[in-house]
Amino acid sequence: MLTCKQLVACSSDYLDGQLTLGERLMTRQHLLFCRNCRRFIKQLRLAQATLKALPPAPVEGAEALAARLAAERRATR
Amino acid sequence: MTADEQRLLDRLLAGEQRAFAELVQTCQGAMRAVAYAIVGERGADEVVQDAWLAAVRGLAGFQRRSSLKTWLLTITANTAKTRYRQDRREVLLDDLPAPHGSIDDARFASDGHWLLAPSAWHEDSPEALLSQEQLRECLEHTLLSLSQLQSSVLLLRERQGLELVEICNLLDLSLSNVRVLLHRARLKVFATLEHFEDTGQC
Repeated sequence: MLTCKQLVACSSDYLDGQLTLGERLMTRQHLLFCRNCRRFIKQLRLAQATLKALPPAPVEGAEALAARLAAERRATR
Repeated sequence: MTADEQRLLDRLLAGEQRAFAELVQTCQGAMRAVAYAIVGERGADEVVQDAWLAAVRGLAGFQRRSSLKTWLLTITANTAKTRYRQDRREVLLDDLPAPHGSIDDARFASDGHWLLAPSAWHEDSPEALLSQEQLRECLEHTLLSLSQLQSSVLLLRERQGLELVEICNLLDLSLSNVRVLLHRARLKVFATLEHFEDTGQC
């Protein structure tokens, strides 16, 4: 049986599908019985989703860059 | 390559400025992350500029086997690697302290059980969390505290949705190193969100 500490140590691999079948089963089994670790995984997923939802930093000078690239492309045609 | 990408590529080949603007919007962030991981803050913008120019010059030869983004990221990584052959092996797994720490050994008892279990967060959606301006700033502060590679790997995985193996190939890192970098970065982000949800401040 995994300990909570071991579960946290392999939590990223669990989310990324990097565990072997055996490791995955052990992780699932631990989660079945451990409320704290279920919460941890749930909130780790929420942290992932939150990062993804952060508004993108505006690209400075995007229009000028696009104009330059388009001109470059037309010149090389 | 998707049908949408095919159409975009045709417009790019025709030299349409709007099409380039769209491409810049969707790819610049990921390109910057790749450049930053390899050359650091100082050279990153220049590498991205050079990569764009190299891409435009090679556009006609683009094979359409991969997505445009994958192709652009490969060009960016190659541009960065050719220009800066610095040895970054020893800084590879640098783990810098984060503002709110991580989920470290102190959280566990000697038998491996939680000593201080994760608290339940008040919000359960990204939108609700991010609606708090202070939390957004707090999160950005934590992201800035990450090492060059940790922050790039996190961004490429979580925000750009790259596969781990793509990240390995672009940055010349082993899979186990990418996994370690990603895990450490995620735990720091987790600790920041937990801290904010517990205390209501950064």
